[in-house]
Amino acid sequence: MNKTETVELNRREFLKGSSFATLMTMLGGVELITPTPARAVDLETLVPFQVKCAVVGLGAWGREILGTLSRLKTAELVAVCDTYPASLKRAASSAPKAQGVEDYRKILDDKEVRAVIVGTPTHKHREVVLAALQAGKHVYCEAPLAHTIEDARAMALAAKAARKQVFQAGLQTRSSAQRRFLLDFIRTGATGKTVKAHAQWHKKQSWRATSANADREKDLNWRLNRETSVGLVGEIGIHQIDTLAWFLNARPVSVTGFGSLVQWRDGRDVPDTVEAIFEFPEGVRLTCEGTLANSFDADYELLYGTDAAIMTRGNKAWMFKEVDSPLLGWEVYAQKDQFYKETGIALVANATKSTQQGEKSADDVPFSTTSLQSALESFLINVNEIGSAVEDFGASFDPNDKAALEKYLAGIKLQPRAGYQEGYEAAVMAIKANEAILKGEKVAFKKEWFELA
Amino acid sequence: MKTKLFQRAGALALPWLLALPLCAAENWVRYDALPGGSKAKLDGTSTAHDWTVESRLIAGYVEFESGFNLEQPAPGKVNARCVVSIPARQLKSDSTRMDTVMYEHIKQKDHPRIEYRLTEMTLKEAPKSADAPVVFDSSGELTVAGVTNKIQMPVSMTRVGKDKLKFTGSTAVKMTSFGIQPPTLVGILSTGDDVKISFEWLAAKKEETK
Repeated sequence: MNKTETVELNRREFLKGSSFATLMTMLGGVELITPTPARAVDLETLVPFQVKCAVVGLGAWGREILGTLSRLKTAELVAVCDTYPASLKRAASSAPKAQGVEDYRKILDDKEVRAVIVGTPTHKHREVVLAALQAGKHVYCEAPLAHTIEDARAMALAAKAARKQVFQAGLQTRSSAQRRFLLDFIRTGATGKTVKAHAQWHKKQSWRATSANADREKDLNWRLNRETSVGLVGEIGIHQIDTLAWFLNARPVSVTGFGSLVQWRDGRDVPDTVEAIFEFPEGVRLTCEGTLANSFDADYELLYGTDAAIMTRGNKAWMFKEVDSPLLGWEVYAQKDQFYKETGIALVANATKSTQQGEKSADDVPFSTTSLQSALESFLINVNEIGSAVEDFGASFDPNDKAALEKYLAGIKLQPRAGYQEGYEAAVMAIKANEAILKGEKVAFKKEWFELA
Repeated sequence: MKTKLFQRAGALALPWLLALPLCAAENWVRYDALPGGSKAKLDGTSTAHDWTVESRLIAGYVEFESGFNLEQPAPGKVNARCVVSIPARQLKSDSTRMDTVMYEHIKQKDHPRIEYRLTEMTLKEAPKSADAPVVFDSSGELTVAGVTNKIQMPVSMTRVGKDKLKFTGSTAVKMTSFGIQPPTLVGILSTGDDVKISFEWLAAKKEETK
């Protein structure tokens, strides 16, 4: 039984049922009303700025990006690109005003386009990203950055050198308000000493796409070929590994992998079932496992501490406390959900300000911003911030004074995102984990692998 | 006929007017804004909490007539010219959403720069020591959201190193005097009309042009 079905009259419920003015009157406060008629602002209808964007790569995830951008008022989709004409046609419904092109270089030549979002197959990121940075565009590149460390490094270094441009890696959970709230919560020590971490991704699907055209089918199935794919751990697990390593606040020391082809023996050489065990300092291990052969319990991440475990599923999270852990106080009033014999205390960002906590189960929240939307929103704001800072600096001082400009830009407050460093480090972890899985052995991480000279 | 005469006179005068700043430049010592070390701050109130916005970017210049002794300034009227400006969108608070509201109210898109132009500068008394800040009384014109108002404020000048000057000052203004309705977020907050402007501005001596 869900515990929320019990009718409770607590302080939160009581306050929710009464108006703010009533409450203030009860507290002895008198509402002060501005005498002059003020102009009210509706933040929802205000369009602060618009960034002219282009999306390159319109596969399943590219379409997801396009759909999300089309709903953001700060994005103006001016061009879309895919080498496959049918994909361009399909994209027209999400971006009717955008010009469709088959060659991404046309987008880079277009001075109007300020930002390029790259959602091509992983092994094609490098070429597009390097050319886009060279052309002075702001770049959002999906994760993993690349299928080889060499490519990821070249991209990260180019992004690092492009000081006047924004580069964001598509590790979207880094922009999620929910994950950032959790990070702060974990850093306060509420979970006790970290014991271990675990990530799971289960789905029953072939990962294979079909097409009447043999060449097209080969292109579509780049994930099933070792030459072009970083496998389950690299294409999917990278988001989970990145989040947990971020929470653990450490780089892994080694990774041991296992992989097998259990279900989809259709000629592919990429395992459909994998496990990777990352060793972190102080004996903390992160197990990451995924399969395309069984869907039980879908996907989640778990962080185990001596006082509590934290589970994240999509945009939601719960805490499972140990009986001997200290009482935090607020959890008495918090939303709780039952997971078999365990009681999860919902961890909701801004819970005290919102109505999300209380009578509704965390699972019933009707709408929450996806992490992809948060990431793209952050990207567009950052493009606007950096873009206008560069422009205003250039109009006020010597635009060739690089040191002063960099100093000015370094002081600009940006929205949370995964930059080139985070994108690169996650790629190193994922690529090496895939290597360990394919070889069935342990790979020790070298410190210099993570560093961008 | 009269109009034509004026037009002719105007046409004759124009090249001279254009040439004036060039001639004058020889007798003026100019200090240009430095890209770092400056800060303009606006402090205001609201029904929910006080607010602050800041810009680290202040562009512009100040010029003194070459006869003005910066090391031992004499009391009296100072022959100086100063124009500074701030790109409005470089004014930032802690909240991007609140910044959006501010830019909307100060009509940032139509009036991208907040500008200050000095009209008069007077030194009431000589500084007590060589290191003490020089305090001027200043009058100038401040343009925000396309509306210009005269403002007066004491401005303090300190010498930094050999060739830099640091100016600080503050004054109080009302949003409504610039045609700005104090922003209101329905059900959340209403801002107050009064705003305190303060600044720290660093400028460096420009090599003399002859």
